Amino acid sequence: MNMIEYITLPWDVLGIGALWLILMAFFVALPCSQMGSFLILRRMALTGDAISHSVFPGVVIAFYITGDLSSPWLIVGAGLAGLASTVIIELIHKWTRVKQDAATGISFTALFALGVLLMELLLGKNVDLDLECVLHGRLGLLLEDDRLALFGLMVPAPVLVMAGVALVTMVLLFFFCRVMMLSSFDADLAASFGYRPAVIHYGMMFVVSFIVVAAFQAVGAILVIALLILPGAAAYLCSYRLKVMLLIAALHALLSAVGGLYLHVWFNSNMAASVVVSGGVLFVLAWLLGPVDGVLWKWFKEEVPTPEESSDQVGNRLS
Amino acid sequence: MIQEMSVLASAVDFLIPASGSAKAMMAAVLLGAGCGLLGCFVVLRRVALMGDAVSHAVLPGVVAGLIYSSERSPGVIFVFAATAGLLGAGLVRLMMMSTRLKSDAALGIVLATFFAFGIMWQSRNQQDTVGVMNFLFGNVGSIDASDLRMMLMTTLVLVVTMFFLRRPLLVMSFDEGFSRGLGYPVKLLNGVFYFLLTFSVVVALQAVGVVLVSAMLITPAAAAYLLTDRFDRMLLLSVLFGVLSGLAGGLVSAEVNGLPTGPVIALSATALFAVVYLIAPRHGVLSKVLRTLRRRMRIRRENTLKAIYQIHEVEGFVHEEVSVLMLARKRGLTEDVVRRDCKALLSRGFIDMAEDGVSLHLSRLGWKRAMEIVRNHRLWELYLTNEADYAEDHVHDDAEKIEHILEPGIVRQLEQHLDFPELDPHGKPIPQPTHLVAQPLATL
Amino acid sequence: MSDEQQPALETHDLTVAYHKRPALYGIDVAVPAGSLVGIVGPNGAGKSTFIKAVMGVVPSSGGWVKVFGKPLRENLHRVGYVPQRESVDWDFPVTVMDVALMGTYGGLGLFRRPGKAEKKRASEALEKVGMLPYSNRQIGNLSGGQQQRVFLARALAQDSDLYLMDEPFAGVDAATEAAIVTLLREMRERGKTVLVVHHDLQSAGEYFDRLLLLNMRLVAFGEVKDVYTRELLQKTYGGRLTILSEVADRAAKL
Repeated sequence: MNMIEYITLPWDVLGIGALWLILMAFFVALPCSQMGSFLILRRMALTGDAISHSVFPGVVIAFYITGDLSSPWLIVGAGLAGLASTVIIELIHKWTRVKQDAATGISFTALFALGVLLMELLLGKNVDLDLECVLHGRLGLLLEDDRLALFGLMVPAPVLVMAGVALVTMVLLFFFCRVMMLSSFDADLAASFGYRPAVIHYGMMFVVSFIVVAAFQAVGAILVIALLILPGAAAYLCSYRLKVMLLIAALHALLSAVGGLYLHVWFNSNMAASVVVSGGVLFVLAWLLGPVDGVLWKWFKEEVPTPEESSDQVGNRLS
Repeated sequence: MIQEMSVLASAVDFLIPASGSAKAMMAAVLLGAGCGLLGCFVVLRRVALMGDAVSHAVLPGVVAGLIYSSERSPGVIFVFAATAGLLGAGLVRLMMMSTRLKSDAALGIVLATFFAFGIMWQSRNQQDTVGVMNFLFGNVGSIDASDLRMMLMTTLVLVVTMFFLRRPLLVMSFDEGFSRGLGYPVKLLNGVFYFLLTFSVVVALQAVGVVLVSAMLITPAAAAYLLTDRFDRMLLLSVLFGVLSGLAGGLVSAEVNGLPTGPVIALSATALFAVVYLIAPRHGVLSKVLRTLRRRMRIRRENTLKAIYQIHEVEGFVHEEVSVLMLARKRGLTEDVVRRDCKALLSRGFIDMAEDGVSLHLSRLGWKRAMEIVRNHRLWELYLTNEADYAEDHVHDDAEKIEHILEPGIVRQLEQHLDFPELDPHGKPIPQPTHLVAQPLATL
Repeated sequence: MSDEQQPALETHDLTVAYHKRPALYGIDVAVPAGSLVGIVGPNGAGKSTFIKAVMGVVPSSGGWVKVFGKPLRENLHRVGYVPQRESVDWDFPVTVMDVALMGTYGGLGLFRRPGKAEKKRASEALEKVGMLPYSNRQIGNLSGGQQQRVFLARALAQDSDLYLMDEPFAGVDAATEAAIVTLLREMRERGKTVLVVHHDLQSAGEYFDRLLLLNMRLVAFGEVKDVYTRELLQKTYGGRLTILSEVADRAAKL
C-alpha cells in the first residue's frame, strides 16, 4: 500500500460511515474538551474521573428499569448516583480524619464496583450494556444503529443526539465563560461580586455529569476521563490565553476524532480507545513542541529574561 | 541470579496449596498483605489518586505480557506490567517537572492514555488476549500454581523491604523536608516507594483487576486509619482488612458463577470501611455523635442549674425552694420540658424534688455546680471587657458558650489575672463555690 | 444621602470563627469616608480575616457590616476587594489586560460582555500603575511587584468608593512599594476610602492617616498620632492574650 491508499483507506472501507464515525467522536469529544479545560484550570481533573466512575450504578439501574440506552432516565439515574458519590465523599471527609483524596477514592471505587455487580446480576448477558461496553464504548457499533433522515442523508441517531448535547454545552459555555473564568481564577473576587462559588461549582459539576453520561455509551466509563483531560491539557501547554486555549482544545478534539478513525481502520482496533490514543499522541506533541511549555522549545531557548530584571525598569518608569 | 531465583522458587513451592479454594484463600492473603501495607503509605501521603493512576497504567503491560508469552507465563506478565506501571509513575513526575500542569491533570493524562493504549492494543489482538477480562475485573478462580508462586515471591520482597524501610518511609511521608535534613536519600526512597506500589498493584491484579485495584490500596488502609493512632497497628489492621475483603470476594464469586471477583472484593472492603466508619471508638461517627449529644445534655443541665441559681439570686437567697413553674418562666420553656430537665438533675443528685413535684431545691452538689457555672460566666465577661477591650454589651453571648468549657486550671488563671474580682462588668457578684464547703448553706 | 456623614465602613460586633475556632472577636469600628487606613497586627491576629469577613468571602458568626450606611449586599458595587497575591494561580491562562478587565465584571451582571467603555477603563487603570505596555503578557511572566500592580489596576478599574486590600506590599520591590503608596494617596485625594492590611509596623506610621490595631479583637482605631503609641502597640503585639487563645483552641476541639 502506498501513502495515498493509507489516507483514503477509511473512506474506501466505510464510505460515508467514516464521516459519521468522525462526527460522532468529535461531538463526544468537543463538549468534554471545553468543560475539561475548566476542570484542569480549577485543578479538578480527577473529579472528572470520579464522576465518570460513580455515575455507573445509576446508569445500570435506569437501564434495567427502562430497557433503553437512549432513555433520558439514564441521565436522571446518573445524576442521582453522582449526587450519592458527592454525599459519600462529604460524609467521609467531613466527619472523619480521612482526607479528601482517599475519601474520593473510596467513594468512586465502591460505586463503580456496585455498578459492575448490578450489571452482572440484573442484566446478565445483555448485549447493549455489558463489561465490553463499559471498557470499549459503543462507538464502533455506531454504523449498526438506527438512522434518521436529515437533508436527504441517513444520519445515525446517536450522532444527532450527541450533536444536541454538544450544542447545549457550547451555548452554556458562550453565556457563562466569563463567569467561570473569573470564579476559576479568583474565587474570592468572584464572591465579592456576588457570584456564589458553590452555585458555580455545582452548576459545572452538573454539566460535566451530563456530558459524561452522554459520552459514556460512546466511549465507555474509563475512557471518558481521557476526553475530558487530554484536550485541555494539550491546549494549556500551547497558549497563555483562555479563549485560545479553548479553541485549541476544540481543535484537539477534532484531530483526535480524525486520528482515531485512522488508527481504528489501520490497526483494526477499538474505535473509542483509538480516539484516546490519538489524543494522547497529540498531547505528547504539545508537550514537546507546544509554544508555551514545549520541552524542546524551552531547551533551545537558552536565555529567558528573568522577571526580576524587567520589574526594575517598570519601577523606574513609574517613579 | 537466575539460579538463585529458581532455588527460591522451589523453596516457596511447598507453601503452595493444591486445592482451588485454598489457592484462592492464599491469593487473598497475599493481596491483603501487599495492598494493605502500601495502602497505609498511600493514605498517609495523600497520594490515593497516584495509586489509581499507577494501577490503570499497568494495563498495556498486561496486554503485552499476554501477547508475548504464549503460555501466559506469570513472570513475563509481571515484568511487563510492573514496567508499564513504573513508566506511568515516571511520566507523571516528568510532566509535573517540565510543564505548568498540576498533579491532578498529569495523573489523569497518564491514567487515561495508558489505559486506552492497553484497550486499543488488546482490541486488535483479541485471540491472544482471551484472559484479559480476568486482569481487568479480577478472577480469583483463574489463579494457578505458577501465578501463586509469582505472587508469593513478590509479596515476600515487598514485605521484607517494607520491614526494613518502614521507619524512613514513615518519616518521609510525614515530613519530606525533615527527612532530607536527616540525610535520607529522599529521591531514592521515593523511587523505592513507587517501585513497591507497582509491585503491590501487580500482585493484586489477577484477584481484583486493574480497574479496582486502587480500592484495595485505599479503603482497607483508610479503615485502619480510623481505628488507631499507632502506625504499626495501622499496618497490621490494614493488612487484616485487606485479607478479609479478599477472602470475602473469593468466597462470594466462587458461589455465584461468572461473577467478576474485583467488584466483590472492592465492595467487601467498602462494607468493612462502612462498619469501622460507624463504630470506631474514637474517630467513628457514632461515637462522635454520642459525644456531641452528651455534651449538649450536659450544657442543658448546667443551664437549668444556672437558672435556678439566678432565681435565688433575684430573690436575695431568702427562699430554700424554687417552683417548677418559676423555673419554666425563667428558662422560657414549657413546664413539661422543665420537669424532664429536672428529672435529669434529680438523677444526678443536683437537686431534691418535693413530694408533690411542684417545687425543688438545690442539693449541696447542685449549689456547687450552679455557682461554678455562674462564676465562669461572670469571670469570662469580666475578662473580655477588661483584657480584650470588649464592649460590655458584646460579652454575654460569648460567655454563654464559654462558661461550659472553662476548666479549673483556666479558671484559676483567670482569677489570678483579674486579681480575684468580686463583681462582674454588670455589677453582679461573682460567686465563690470553694467557700461553699466552709460555710453552712443558710449563711449564703 | 451625603456620604460625608455616613461612615464608609461600619462594623458592629463582627465575629468570625474558622472551624469553630474564634479568629475575630466582636469588632466595632466606624471608618470615616476619605481616609487611608492601615490594618496592623501580629501574625494570626485576623487582619485578612477581618476584610474577608467584611466582603462576605468568609462567613461571619455574628454582628453586622454596613457600607455607606447600607448593608453590604446593597452597596456591593461600591466596594473593591484586592485579595492576597498568593491567593490566585498565576499560571492561569489570562493576560494582564484580561485581569484588569475582571475589575469591570462586577458592574456587568451575569451576561453582558465587556465593551469599549470597560476596555477603556481597564487601559486607564493599567496606565496608572505603569503596566499598560505589558497588557498582552501572560500573568505568570510577571515579577511579584508587577503582579501586585496588575491587581491594583484591576481594583482601579472597579472604580469603587471603598477599597479593601489584603497585603498589597507583600513581596514587592522598593520601587513598586513607593509607587503603591503614591497611588493610595492619590486615591484618597479623590475621596476614596482605602483599608490596607499591612505587615510592616515601621512604615505603617508614615503610609497611613489612620491605623486599625488588631489582635483577635480591636485594640485601637484612630488617627496615627493618637494610636501609634508605645503603649497601644505594645498591647497589640506584646500582650498576647494567652488565656483567650487557649480557650479558643479548646472551643475548637469540641
